[in-house]
Amino acid sequence: MSLTVLIVDDSATVRAVIAKTLHLAEVPVAHSYEAANGKEALDILAEHDVDLLFSDINMPVMNGVEMIEQMSTRGLLERIRVVVVSTEGSSTRIEQLKSKGVSAYLRKPVTPETIRKVVHHIMGAQKC
Amino acid sequence: MLTEQSQLVAQVFCEVMEKLAFMFGEPADKQRSAPPESAYIQTKMTYTGQTSGMLALTVPASLCPQIAANVLGIDPDDDRAVASSLDALKEVLNVTCGHVLTALAGETPVFDLSVPGTSTLDAGQWTDLLERPDTVALSVDDNVVLLQFAHGRQA
Repeated sequence: MSLTVLIVDDSATVRAVIAKTLHLAEVPVAHSYEAANGKEALDILAEHDVDLLFSDINMPVMNGVEMIEQMSTRGLLERIRVVVVSTEGSSTRIEQLKSKGVSAYLRKPVTPETIRKVVHHIMGAQKC
Repeated sequence: MLTEQSQLVAQVFCEVMEKLAFMFGEPADKQRSAPPESAYIQTKMTYTGQTSGMLALTVPASLCPQIAANVLGIDPDDDRAVASSLDALKEVLNVTCGHVLTALAGETPVFDLSVPGTSTLDAGQWTDLLERPDTVALSVDDNVVLLQFAHGRQA
């Protein structure tokens, strides 16, 4: 079974790198959407079913934390797994994000191995 | 002679360049780092938290497409490498900043990082920057790049 993925980062380069890394990690992606900030991501989520969302924290317009809080309010975290991909290494921040419903946290730069391991862990073997 | 803090920033930057852009850096002699080019790109970001500060990366404009190509895994002559030049440079700085802060302050404090911005510098501005005591010169694949780190204040 394949996944529908949403990649949220204000850097088009980072979005391309994450998409490529998912491919190299052999994560089965059926559809992939991209958003440059949290607001764009919420607009996409209102229109499309997504299984797995990768998001940065620091973004203009709406940052990743605000987006995750909005997703929680709208009940989206019950069916969408969120992986935060950020440069920040604060354990305090990571715990805050996990308490808000984030499934996993990856620190940039990410490798195919770490993405593969995380996706398998949070999505389960049946989808990957 | 690099300060301990400068050495740490330089080390983190080199590690990030190696992992993200597959490029290798090493400290360069400031005295022998005369500007070989007429245009430079600077990307700069600030952070706030238990301490505030600023990190800036300045590179020859001609190096930017190479960095982007390596980050994306495409040919430097590919149009996408040129189009992604500033974006890729900002990402190198963003990742460096996050790792520098963890290396300096540990994993407990939370820092809020700004979105990096970019500007163009000429050779004169590059020389002024080189002479600042908080600037480190590094050689990346035979190109001199400058890292300016102001921890504890915003420049």
